Amino acid sequence: MNTLPTSPSSTPLERGSASFSPIVAGTPYSGHLHTLGSDVKLAVRNLTMRYANGHTALNGLNLAVRAGEMVVVLGSNGSGKSTMMKCIVGLNRPTAGSVEIAGRDLATLSGPALRRARLPLALISQHANLVKRRSVLANVCCGTLGRYRTLGTALGMLPRAEFDHALGYLDEVGLLHLATQRAGTLSGGQAQRVAVARALAQHPHVLLADEPVASLDPEAADEVMRLLRRLASEDGLAVVCVLHQPDLASRYADRLVGLRRGVLAFDRPAAQVSHEDIARLYAGLDA
Amino acid sequence: MSKVFAVEASAVSKLSPRRRTLCTVGGVIVLLALFVQAWIVVQARPQDLITGAHGMADIISRAMPPAFDQFVPNLRPVLETIDLAIFGTVFGILLAFPLAILAAANVTPARPLYYAARALIGVTRAVPDLVWALLFVTAVGLGPFPGALALAVHSVGMLGRLFAEVIEDMDMGPVEALTLTGAGRLQVLSHAVVPGVLPSLLGIGLFRFDENLRSSLVLGFVGAGGIGFQLLTAMNLFQYQTVSFLLIITFALVACAERGSAYLRSVVM
Repeated sequence: MNTLPTSPSSTPLERGSASFSPIVAGTPYSGHLHTLGSDVKLAVRNLTMRYANGHTALNGLNLAVRAGEMVVVLGSNGSGKSTMMKCIVGLNRPTAGSVEIAGRDLATLSGPALRRARLPLALISQHANLVKRRSVLANVCCGTLGRYRTLGTALGMLPRAEFDHALGYLDEVGLLHLATQRAGTLSGGQAQRVAVARALAQHPHVLLADEPVASLDPEAADEVMRLLRRLASEDGLAVVCVLHQPDLASRYADRLVGLRRGVLAFDRPAAQVSHEDIARLYAGLDA
Repeated sequence: MSKVFAVEASAVSKLSPRRRTLCTVGGVIVLLALFVQAWIVVQARPQDLITGAHGMADIISRAMPPAFDQFVPNLRPVLETIDLAIFGTVFGILLAFPLAILAAANVTPARPLYYAARALIGVTRAVPDLVWALLFVTAVGLGPFPGALALAVHSVGMLGRLFAEVIEDMDMGPVEALTLTGAGRLQVLSHAVVPGVLPSLLGIGLFRFDENLRSSLVLGFVGAGGIGFQLLTAMNLFQYQTVSFLLIITFALVACAERGSAYLRSVVM
């Protein structure tokens, strides 16, 4: 489960592409991706996304995230962060490159095969996207639907154990006392934590968070970031988080990844990224 | 908001004052011309209202007092009228919902199904319920059943269109979130789409019941049962006191349905 076997026919890397380069020299992952340890949960190789209008949103991006690691992606608007997330979850089909999770390349899949391969991957968006008229518990249980694709679950029936697990996830995010409350009555921070619990109900290996604190006040943002940090450190999830708050990023991330115009600007341990690096990253758009 | 107004104002001010006046005058002339042609085509004769007033007064005097003793004999037609509306609304909702799923651009499973559903909704909506009733009377004979079928078919069109619009306007966030968890189409439908739109659909359904009750009164005029049929019979037999009684019943029914559906809508919305 932890190994990341490569599929020879599917990626430029395995086809022997001479243009493939290490992620970034001097990073914790210097060297070719296929030499990475077995605890790599997400490997993005040479990811390129070119839109029909000719705009290149991502250009040869490489990224590997290990179990228990929290990576924060920084970059100004239009740097390709959201495109990267969409490519990883399979909402966008990249022009080139691969996205490997649990040994399967999502970039080559579609339809039911993509749905199945995506199961170890959970996404939290800027908005919690809860079903507001349903209870908090029912929303968390929705995370299990991908594992029980039966008519019964479509009618609202789930194994008893899943309800118990869902309550456990709510306890983990500190909202067990709100299990029976309507999701529409929650505050932004609470709703986002329920979204995290729903993601946990998926039993993911990789947790993606696309600007999860963008619409939250500082206190709620801190709470959500603490939770993501804990899920990485204690539960061993590989967490990739897109943020626009460099201070939060420096405080909670193991590694910081900087994107500038679809290209990796840096990928280093958070302690090695200075304020100046970040300032240069954001100024780069104007340069 | 003020920015929007500013943009609108600047767009308007691109026209010179002279051209703006010409546009306004031209618009008024077109509207007047439309109204005049409508006046001519409908052969409007307001004076006839005055000369015919005594005839109206005569009928009203003959309709008084209302024949309240007709209450018991008309209980069944009243029940028929209500049941026509119930049947038409329930079947309308049951058939319109799946059709609306197919006809909503954001959740339809396939483009050809979308066009087919839209076409079906268009046809059932375009043909008035009275015409559907005439067709069904020809097919299944006189009585309340053809009326109920007419209301159901017409409701499918009306509700299908409104349901589809509600679904198209819904927040797609939960749908996307559930899709990304690996949930199937049916699961997404039942866990995200239905809970998201259900209150609006129930509200529209209740409003449709109210509409169907009014329509069922008229459908009786073409032999589809209910109070309408009794009303037509009483008028043909010059039983104006019965007519006035049935009109009172009609008013009471419509008022009750209006209040009832408004209350239920306020509960479910």
